[in-house]
Order: sequence, then structure tokens, then C-alpha cells
Amino acid sequence: MNLLLGQILNGIATGMLYALMGLGLSLITGVLNIPNFAHGALFAVGAYLLVSSANLVGNFWVALLVAPLGVALLGLIIEYAGVRRLYAAGHDYQLLFTFGLALILNELIIVIWGPVGISHLPPAILRGGVDLGFTFYPKYRLFVMGMAGLLVLATWLFLEKTRYGAIMRAGIENKEMVSLLGIDIHRLFTVAFGIGAFLAGIAGALTAPIRGLSPGMGVDMLGIAFVVVALGGLGNLLGAIAAGLLIGIAQAVVAAYWTEASTAVIFAVMALVLLIRPQGMFGIR
Amino acid sequence: MAILKTENLSKSFGALAAVKDVSLGIEAGSLHSIIGPNGAGKTTLFNLLTGTFPPTSGRIIFDQKDITGTPAHRIAHLGLARSYQRTSVFPAFSLFDNVWVAAFACGSSWKGFLWKRTDGYPEATERARQALSDVGLEKKSHQLAREISHGEQRQLELAIALAAAPRVLLLDEPAAGLSPEETRNMVALVRGLKGRYTIVLIEHKIDIIMSVSDRISVMHFGSLIAEGSPEEIQRNPEVRRAYLGGIAA
Amino acid sequence: MKKETIVLLVSIIALPFVVRPAIATEIWIFAIFGLGLNLLLGYTGLLSFGQSTFFGSAAYVAGWLLKHYGINVFFALGIGVGVGALSALLVGYLCVQRSGLYFIMLTFALNQLFYFIAYQWTTVTGGEDGMPGIPRPLFFGFDFRNPMLYYAFVSVLFLLSLWLMKRIVESPLGRILRAIRENEVRAEAVGYHVPRFKLLAFVIGGAFSGLAGVLYAMLFGIVPLEAISFVFSGNVVFATLIGGSGSLYGPIIGSFVFIWLSESMSVMWARWPLLLGVAFVIVVLFFRGGVVEAWSRLGEKVRLWRSSRQKT
Repeated sequence: MNLLLGQILNGIATGMLYALMGLGLSLITGVLNIPNFAHGALFAVGAYLLVSSANLVGNFWVALLVAPLGVALLGLIIEYAGVRRLYAAGHDYQLLFTFGLALILNELIIVIWGPVGISHLPPAILRGGVDLGFTFYPKYRLFVMGMAGLLVLATWLFLEKTRYGAIMRAGIENKEMVSLLGIDIHRLFTVAFGIGAFLAGIAGALTAPIRGLSPGMGVDMLGIAFVVVALGGLGNLLGAIAAGLLIGIAQAVVAAYWTEASTAVIFAVMALVLLIRPQGMFGIR
Repeated sequence: MAILKTENLSKSFGALAAVKDVSLGIEAGSLHSIIGPNGAGKTTLFNLLTGTFPPTSGRIIFDQKDITGTPAHRIAHLGLARSYQRTSVFPAFSLFDNVWVAAFACGSSWKGFLWKRTDGYPEATERARQALSDVGLEKKSHQLAREISHGEQRQLELAIALAAAPRVLLLDEPAAGLSPEETRNMVALVRGLKGRYTIVLIEHKIDIIMSVSDRISVMHFGSLIAEGSPEEIQRNPEVRRAYLGGIAA
Repeated sequence: MKKETIVLLVSIIALPFVVRPAIATEIWIFAIFGLGLNLLLGYTGLLSFGQSTFFGSAAYVAGWLLKHYGINVFFALGIGVGVGALSALLVGYLCVQRSGLYFIMLTFALNQLFYFIAYQWTTVTGGEDGMPGIPRPLFFGFDFRNPMLYYAFVSVLFLLSLWLMKRIVESPLGRILRAIRENEVRAEAVGYHVPRFKLLAFVIGGAFSGLAGVLYAMLFGIVPLEAISFVFSGNVVFATLIGGSGSLYGPIIGSFVFIWLSESMSVMWARWPLLLGVAFVIVVLFFRGGVVEAWSRLGEKVRLWRSSRQKT
């Protein structure tokens, strides 16, 4: 029983990270109308940047700030130099561009950091565990839950309470209308990509001490991000959280009994939900 | 005999009641117009009749059979065809292919649709040719839909509906965006179809309505506020009130 | 029309003398794969990013049966087509009910499901190591272990597939699918059950992918894990778009371009997917309409130039 509860907590931690990934992807995909195939790679870059900057500067917290900003910058460059240039060519080509980029980034990671997995310890202050009664739970994972929760809240505040956030939500609903209202639609795209990339980057950075890093982590995460969006709906913040938690917990619980199947379970859960509700958890086709 | 009837048909989108308790009957072979200011619910009514979405309540009876809730792709097979207010054709197709696709769908047999050539269906070919000829576009049948003028596209719009060889035609503002001369052509076209088809017409241009309609129903804010012959409607004070500030005659 | 057939036949005959027979065979296999995708992408307007699901599944199942049960070639081909079609039916059923963006993401995500199953089920698929030891059985006395004979066999199957696809796109189904691409709402309004037709296109595309998968397994004697990966799915999308999704022959050209690119790069560097990614990016940024369109644009320019010269 304690094992199960512990796994559920793990599931919540990873689930929140999945939610962050889904959220970032949702923003990019919702605003630009292309599934960002580079999103997983951005996640991986975030993780690797964290490790490198932490090792360079000797401070986890600085790295936690630097890595996502670096990824956000990368996102802005990608949007400006590539995606925007292909705007006239159509969505298929923009999509293919992000796909090519994913290949490049994933391979660059191997070139720069090598093909072997790296592990990275959490900062000293977050090492060790906390006695929760039923189990001794790693402090770092609790930190991740809190941090992810804060980020989701910040994103929510941005989308719901700021003027530009409202513009972004409107852009997801109806791009034509937004540009007719005189808003710079290309700037909107860039901002959306930047924020989405930032969220992917920080999710990656937070993941590093939990799971360690491997060059394939980007690809794995891309599929999971897609699942979150497919289940939760584009631009749906609550949907992203619900979907993320669902698959995170499902994965963690299954991992306790049948480790090999734990990743496949995520996709199986998605298939099952869609069989019952083809329009996803929140009904948007 | 009413070939098409609605009984207390209603449709709400959340708090917005787009169509409220509409009961009307369309006599077979007649041309029945539906008029009303913008937002009166006319297009929504058409959407209900063609199964685009199901009604919130009420029934639709076609040829004495309850067809309420029939999905959109089955409606054409029942004998109801529609043309759209905003031109909705297949832009990269030739005019012929545009009508052919509609003709084939309602054809008597789809046998061999996976391997036979498209010219191997004489019934569909003939109906397509006839539909284009009915609207006067047969000379342009090989041009692409996106290359013809707006007026011609409105004619194509009508032809696609005709190609299904329906019993009832639902025409949503066929003269939308047409010049006075094009409008005259369209009116002549529609008049020419009277008798061969039962026609339900949505239009804003009052002179068209008055000159072709057998009966007129007036909608306002989702409800039917009046129904009668063109003369009765012209004299009706409620109708005048509804149109003040709306579309002028 | 005739012109294209001649060019095609000439290339089929000449190719194994220009490149290794194995590469030549791979080109036609990939072209079959591309034909399947293009029914979805070019004709129905559905960007399926998970075609390797059907390719790989067919390869694994047929490969397994070839290896452990010594089935004959006909049966293997039948299994390949069947598994491809069936897996497409399952995946397609979930995917066609959602529109555009969700469709793309779902095809990808379901691809990942199959990938992870293949990755973990090492007892059957061999996981990362792949499924080696797939034989090329005798076929009416023809020993397909002779690369040229196998090449001839695959070429014939390719021509058959091309002919079949041509029949399909020129049939009412082809026109209905294009109508769905042009105007889905109107296609439904004139009387077509759109999701069902999309599913049909999906299943046909899956069947072609499955055929390609079996032939691939027999060509290399192994089913690598890559055959069911998202990279493979992306490759066929790239090849089809580059060749030109607007024409029946686009996937063939795309196959040539892609196989040439990936073969030249894989000998250059172990990290050749990076070069491939760069190639994707460059081609996408500069050759947008695909080779077929670039070629016809070039042809247009030449024609204009010629006619302006005739005037003077």
C-alpha cells in the first residue's frame, strides 16, 4: 500500500511535468496551428543545458534560470528564422521544418554531450527525503511538484489575467479575427513559441535530477506531450493538467508492477480514453 | 400535401435561442420563402433541416417520415439538397467534377467505386451534365471552379444542389453578392425550377421574394412571426415592424 | 502519360546498374510506401505522421512467420498487406474522428505506442537489436537470394502497386477523397460519410505500407526497430512532400531523392540523422512545392522563354 501511495506521488510529480509539456505544446500548436515536432527536443535541450550550466557555474538555481531561458531563446530563433519564413508555404512545411529541427537537435545533443546517459544530483538543499508518515519521500520530487504547480499557475495568470494572454487565447480560437483586430499576428506567433519553448525547457531542467538524461529523452517526451494535448485539448489549461496527471499516475502505478510496460501504458491509456470519448477528455474535436 | 414539415422546432446554443418553436409546412411543388432580418435564425433553420446539427427539441417530417436527427451525410440521399449562402464548392475541381461528385453520391449504385473509372457511371455523368445545363454553365464545364467569376460560382452552387436530383431544394440566398443583372439571371433560373422541385428559399432581396414565392414565412429573433401569401405579408404590420431598422424593401 | 511510363520502365531497367541492386530495390520499396501515404496526404489531405506503424507491424509479423514457420512468399505478401490494413483500421478508427491537428498528433502518438511495444517485447521483436534472420524463400524455382532476381520481383510488385493506385485515384473513390480534401463540409453535405471514407483511405494506405514492410524485411533480412519508429514515419512524409504530393508520381521521385540522400549521408558519419535533418530543413526552406512542382515551374519558365524568343 505504501508502495502504491509512493508511486502515486511519483505519478503526480511526473504528471505535472507532463502537464507543463502539454501546456507549452498546446500554446504553440494552438496559436501557430502546427504540431511542434521539435518540442521534445527542446525539453531535452533544457535538461542538458541545466546540467552543463550547473556544472559550469556550480549553482543549481542559476542553472534552473539559465537553461529555460536558453531554450526560450532557441525557440524564438526557430520561430523567426524558420517557421515564420514558411508561413506562406503552409502548415505541412512548417511542420516538416520542426521535424527536421528535432532530428538536428537530438543528434547535436549526442555530438556535444555524448551518447551515454548522464545523471545529475539535485542541489544539496533538496537532497534526501521527507517523512510523510506512510513513506520517506524525496524532497526534490516535492519541489518539482511545487515548482510545476507554480509555473502552471503563472501560465494561467498570464492567459487569464493579462491583456496579451487574452489575445493569445483569442488567437487560439480564431486567428483571422485577431489579425483583423489589428494585432500583430506574427509577434503573437513568436511570443507563443517563446513561452512554449520556455515551458519545455524548464520541464526538462526540472526532470534532470529525477530521471537522469539520455539522448532519447526528447523523442519519448514528444509523444507524451502529444498525448496530453490530444486528451486535454488545445489551449485548455485544465485539460493539460488533468491529462498530464492521469497519464503520469497511470505510468507510475504500472511501473511498480510491470516496469517494461510503463511507457507504453501512457499511449494505451490515451487509446482507451479516445475509444470512449473520441473528442478527448474535454470534448473538443 | 406538406412534403416538408417542422413541428415546434427549436435550437439553442447555450443561452442563445437561435430557433424558437418553429412549426411550418412546405407544400409539395411550391416555392416557399423564408425572410427576416439578419440573425433571425433562417440559416440555423436550414442547418437543422439538413442535419448539420440536431435540434434541441421538436421534429422534422419529410414525406411523412420523421427525419429528426438524421446526420448530414444522409440528408442528400433522402431527397433534400441545399445550396449555401457563402459559396462552398470544390475549388480545384472542374465545374463538371463539382456537380459529378454530388450526382454520384445520390446515384442508384456505387458498385465498383474503388476500381471503375469515373466516366463509367452514365447516370451520374448525365445528371451532372443536366445540372450544369440547367444553370447555363455547360459551356464552361472544364474550367476550374476557382477560375470562374463570383456570379458563375453562385450558379455552380445551385447546380451542385440540382445534381443530387432532389425533391426539395433549400436555397440559402442564391443571389448573395450578385450584381443587378446577375440577380435577374438567378431569379429567372429559380423561377424556371419552380414546379420541378419543391423550393425553400431564403432571400433578403424583397423584390425577388415577392416575384417568385407562393408562400412566405417571416422569422424574427428565432420565431415565426407571420406566414401567408406575398400580398398578405406585404400588408402585415408586424412584418413591417420587424423590418424597420432591418433590411429595407 | 505514355512519356512517364517510358521513363519509369527505363529507370527500372537501368537502376540496378547505376547503384547496388539492394539500394535500387530499397528505392522501389520506399516508393510503394510513399504511394500509400500519398493517398492520404496528397489526395485526402490527411497528414498521417505514423505510417511506420503499419510498415513495421507488417514487417515484424511477416518476418516472424517467414523466420519461424517458413511460409512462402505469397503468404508473406498477403500477411504484410493484411497486417498493414488491419493495423491501419485500428489506428485509423481512433484518428479519423478528430480533425487536422489532433489527427496528426494522434497518428504520431499511436505510432509511439506500437514503437514502445516493439521496443519492450524483446522476445518477439528483438527490441533494439531488431529481428534478424529473415529468409527470402524460393518462388516458383526463382532463388530470390540472387539480388537481381529479388530486384526484378520487387520492381514488378512496384509496377503493380502503381497501377493499382492509379486505378484507385481515377475511380470515384479518388474523386471523393479529393472532394473531402477540397471541402470536407460540402462533401458531407452532398452525401458522403466523411470519417468512413477517411478510414477507407487510411486502410488502403496501410495495405500499401504493409506490402512495403514485408518486402523491406525480406530485402535486408532483418526488421530493425527503426522500421516502426517516428523517424521512419517522418522520412516518408518528407519524401512524399519533396517529390510532390500533388501527383501520382511524386512519391517515386521523393523515394529517389530520399534514399539517395540517406544512403550518401549514412556512409559519411555515424551521426548522419543530423545531416538528414539539415537536408530536411534546407529542402523545406528552398524547395517547397516539391521537386515535381519545381520541375514544372522550370518547364513553365522554359516555355515562356521559348515563346518570347519566337516572337522576335
